[in-house]
Amino acid sequence: MIPKMALAPDTDQHVSWAPDREQRTGVAASVRGLGKRFRKSRVLEDVSFDVAEGESLVLLGASGSGKTTILRIMAGLEQPDKGRVILHGKDVTDLPARERGVGVIFQAYALFPRMTVEKNIGFGLKIRRRPRKERRQTVDRLLKLVQLEEHRNKYPWQLSGGQQQRVAIARTLAYKPQVLLFDEPFGALDAQTRVHLRREIRALLRQVKVPSVFITHDQEEALELGDRIAVLNDGHLEQVGTPDEVYNHPATEYVATFLGAANLLLGVITNQAVEIGSASLPAARETRRFREGQSVKLVFRPEDVCLSQDANLPEGCRRLANGVIEEVSFVGAYERLNIRLDLTHRHQAQNEAPLYQVTINTPEKMTGVPIIVTRPKPDTNAPRYKAGDRVAVGLTSFSVLPNYTLARR
Amino acid sequence: MKISSLRHVRGFDVARPVSIGLMLGIMLPLVILPLLSIFVVGTRKGPGFFWASLVAPEAVYALKLSMVTSFWATVFNVIFGLLAAYVLSRYDFWGRNAVIVTISLPTAIPTAVAGFALLALWGPYGTLGRFLFPPEGKHQLMFTAYAIILANIFVTFPLAFGVIKPVFDTMSRSLEEASATIGATRWQTFWYVTLPSLRGAIVGGALLTFARAVGEFGSTILVSGNVAGHTQTAPLYIFAKYNSGEIGSLEAANAIAIVLALLSFVIFSVLFFARDWLEFETQEV
Repeated sequence: MIPKMALAPDTDQHVSWAPDREQRTGVAASVRGLGKRFRKSRVLEDVSFDVAEGESLVLLGASGSGKTTILRIMAGLEQPDKGRVILHGKDVTDLPARERGVGVIFQAYALFPRMTVEKNIGFGLKIRRRPRKERRQTVDRLLKLVQLEEHRNKYPWQLSGGQQQRVAIARTLAYKPQVLLFDEPFGALDAQTRVHLRREIRALLRQVKVPSVFITHDQEEALELGDRIAVLNDGHLEQVGTPDEVYNHPATEYVATFLGAANLLLGVITNQAVEIGSASLPAARETRRFREGQSVKLVFRPEDVCLSQDANLPEGCRRLANGVIEEVSFVGAYERLNIRLDLTHRHQAQNEAPLYQVTINTPEKMTGVPIIVTRPKPDTNAPRYKAGDRVAVGLTSFSVLPNYTLARR
Repeated sequence: MKISSLRHVRGFDVARPVSIGLMLGIMLPLVILPLLSIFVVGTRKGPGFFWASLVAPEAVYALKLSMVTSFWATVFNVIFGLLAAYVLSRYDFWGRNAVIVTISLPTAIPTAVAGFALLALWGPYGTLGRFLFPPEGKHQLMFTAYAIILANIFVTFPLAFGVIKPVFDTMSRSLEEASATIGATRWQTFWYVTLPSLRGAIVGGALLTFARAVGEFGSTILVSGNVAGHTQTAPLYIFAKYNSGEIGSLEAANAIAIVLALLSFVIFSVLFFARDWLEFETQEV
């Protein structure tokens, strides 16, 4: 059981756990053009990003995408082949880990097993030979901050995973780290604890205002923890942006598909619209950066699809094509529909009665392009759909990406 | 440790008493009875004679010498074992595997050969000894207590290393990495983080080394000179008493053997029963 943790407010004097020399605005940490090879295989290629003061940045990527290597390079546990690491304006690329003043929260927390909670937290000050009184005060304040006062004399193995994590954070805060680096902080925990703990950490970080870098492969975690998200794929950055930017305006197909579900359709730019088979999606703004006739990919989220049983789609919803509902399934809070789009037939003229041409009666005859649509659990008077219903399909939001996946590298 | 066994048959399982009995039956003539007979022979002339044998000056000196030389050999081998385990688990270098094999070699070499090897190097006519400790010179390394320590070091060389190295290998690197990112120097990390995790292995390796060194005979008899009251360790004393043919010498030899047997019994009991405590120290929760 996880006790509910309300973070202790800084009642006595306000204590900042960010470094003293910090300038309140500006860049806290940045990496420039990082490159790294392990034997023959390239792990990182030209990775650059900044972490602003007080910001939390999430490095999101599949396993093997190089995110751990970036973290280890920033911490000084690994040397890059190329590129620089800059912390508060100082190039630390050639400094050993212990001179960088970064706080690393390891995946399994790496608490010292032979030290009590108190001693773990005080370790950073002890090796810095700070006076005993200062050490005790700092440890007391930190224990209060992470709500572990009654556990101060326990050993790490006597604590729950969440408590251990808080000790690990407090241990780094004690020496006012320039930046906090979290290595898959919730990987070792069950789903429920994970959600709980990341809210705690988010609240804690808001309070201590230390810039942080998280690495994770969990997109939900990334969206919730990050002020900004950097999506890594195979050693290079695909996109860096706010959760809203990367989710709603993915720059690449990889970002679109890695962060949540996405439907992808191949199309061609024709007359300020995306032409997909026989369908044509008007998109004057989205197609501006493409030339006429260019091959593109239309990317849209399952929840950005609107449906209608007559030809009238709601306001703000651009008509894409007609389709037939193939399957309806309830997934907890929302409803998922598998729809086959009819893209082989001519788009209807204005006021023309919809002609439904998709045949899905038997598996052999299945035609049309499958897409996935989700929508909130319909309330009682909303139209219910069932398999076999014919619907008009429109989009409220979508992205148009160049279709050069194959050409890339 | 909790032991559970799978149930194979209905009702009474005869395999249990039979297999336990078989094991003890094999151990009895091979190990248990020979050990017991030491006690029988050592005490058969009565407690008075037994006590007199123990406190005989040469016997006391032999036991003391054994303890002291084994102690210093243990101290050396534990420190060296730590160093070697650290180097071999942290650095990769050309010839690393050859070094690992070489460290383990002394266990396979007959102890008499080990003694001869030391003589061949340090003895008055040895390859180095002829220059450092010439026969006409004042100082000799061989035939002193130092030679006994050298012999003990040689034959127990891999024991502490063998216990410490696996703990080093399995120790999570992230502890040392965490310590470094917190700001500790290499030495602080070793002292505050690495060493405490090795406490169990160090105690275990030391006890093992000490137990083995106390019982060492083959190499010691060659390098020590075996002078009673001077360079005679407890095992050499026992051997000398057996060979002397005096009345009661057999019983006197066995009295010392009883001490050695009890000592190793205590050491291995500690190793076994303190295992949970020692392992608790190495586990990473």
